[in-house]
Amino acid sequence: MADAEAGKKIFIQKCAQCHTVEKGGKHKTGPNLWGLFGRKTGQAPGFSYTEANKNKGIIWGEQTLMEYLENPKKYIPGTKMIFAGLKKKSEREDLIEYLKQATSS
Amino acid sequence: MSSQNPERKQSLVGWDSHLSRIFLLLLFVVSAQGLTPNPEACLVFSSVNGSSISCQPPAQIPHSLPADTIFLAVEFFNLTQLPADFLQGVPNLQELHLSSNRLEDFSPKFLLPVPQLKVLDLTRNSLTGLFPGFFRVSAALCTLVLKGNQLKFLEASWLHGLKALRHLDLSENQLHSLPPGLLENFTDLLTLDLSNNQLQTLPPDLLRGPLNLERLHLEGNRLQVLGEGLLAPQPKLRYLFLNDNRLASVAAGAFRGLQKLDMLDLSNNLLTTVPTGLWTSLGKAARNLKDGFDISNNPWICDQNLADLYRWLVANENKMFFRNHTRCAGPEALKGQTLLAAAESH
Repeated sequence: MADAEAGKKIFIQKCAQCHTVEKGGKHKTGPNLWGLFGRKTGQAPGFSYTEANKNKGIIWGEQTLMEYLENPKKYIPGTKMIFAGLKKKSEREDLIEYLKQATSS
Repeated sequence: MSSQNPERKQSLVGWDSHLSRIFLLLLFVVSAQGLTPNPEACLVFSSVNGSSISCQPPAQIPHSLPADTIFLAVEFFNLTQLPADFLQGVPNLQELHLSSNRLEDFSPKFLLPVPQLKVLDLTRNSLTGLFPGFFRVSAALCTLVLKGNQLKFLEASWLHGLKALRHLDLSENQLHSLPPGLLENFTDLLTLDLSNNQLQTLPPDLLRGPLNLERLHLEGNRLQVLGEGLLAPQPKLRYLFLNDNRLASVAAGAFRGLQKLDMLDLSNNLLTTVPTGLWTSLGKAARNLKDGFDISNNPWICDQNLADLYRWLVANENKMFFRNHTRCAGPEALKGQTLLAAAESH
């Protein structure tokens, strides 16, 4: 059972250095993630993505995020995101559950 | 790309040049999108700023790189070394991603050709050390990631030259201790990640140097004590992760002066009690832990000594992570009860 509370902690600890989630949140090293679910890769307005990210061409959702967050550099070769990934399935599930809630209204 | 020159279209020569323009356009589009038909070739993206090259197996690592390369990723190979002159000829390089190789060491001159380097990612390699002067021309480097190597110790001299460093990640190594003055010259450092090492103690002056440290990661070490002075040089610290250590003792003044703390994580330690005054000092921050705090999975003894903490908990319960995992281990009568319940009935 995915735990959004645990996911929030994971986000703060491992993602918040580079990303914000709230609507209107600023871009940092990485893009603001508001509106992520259902959106194609590389589309957050105003962020300078790598071509690799823009061209990946998938839609972000639970399954694509599960794969991506396990090993981002394998999923999007050429990405500039420095994150080795979350090996534990439960952690990815928790994080994705949090993101689902935090990036949409 | 518009090429509607009616004159050219009509002549044979003109048609050829029209076709070759289309061909060139296709090549440009193909290379811009990285749709190299050969899966054994690296991905290449070209922009007005320069080329981005990304290589993973089964691609072959190129012997020479375009002179305008600004981004280079060579990852997931079994390389133990790179040629000493690997970066010769890419003077504009800004990002170098070398994660998930087996790099054991470098030539001392390795980074000399790339003084504009901003990002160096060495996650998951086999480095046991670096050497003084390795970064002597790396005054532009903002981000250095040494996560997941085999560093058992550090010499401050290895990091000399990194005047602009903002993010330093030394997590997931085997560091037992840290040398004094490690961060002395890192005035712009924003993030220090020392998580998941084997640190038992910290030099009291560890945080002297940076002027605006925002994030400090110490989770997953073997710290037993949080001393009075450690955090004193960083009153603007925003994120403090001390979870998953062996903390049994926190000095009463440990958090004194932390004015901007957004998140405090003390979960998974050996805390039974806290000294009076520890928590009231946190309450003075106007922002007041807006992202939350976590004191779960500690063996709290829910007696009179927690009065301070109780008051603070009740006032801030909406920011508490894992309330159901924050329980009393004693005294017997309260064993198993949540700290929040104990606080509310106090």
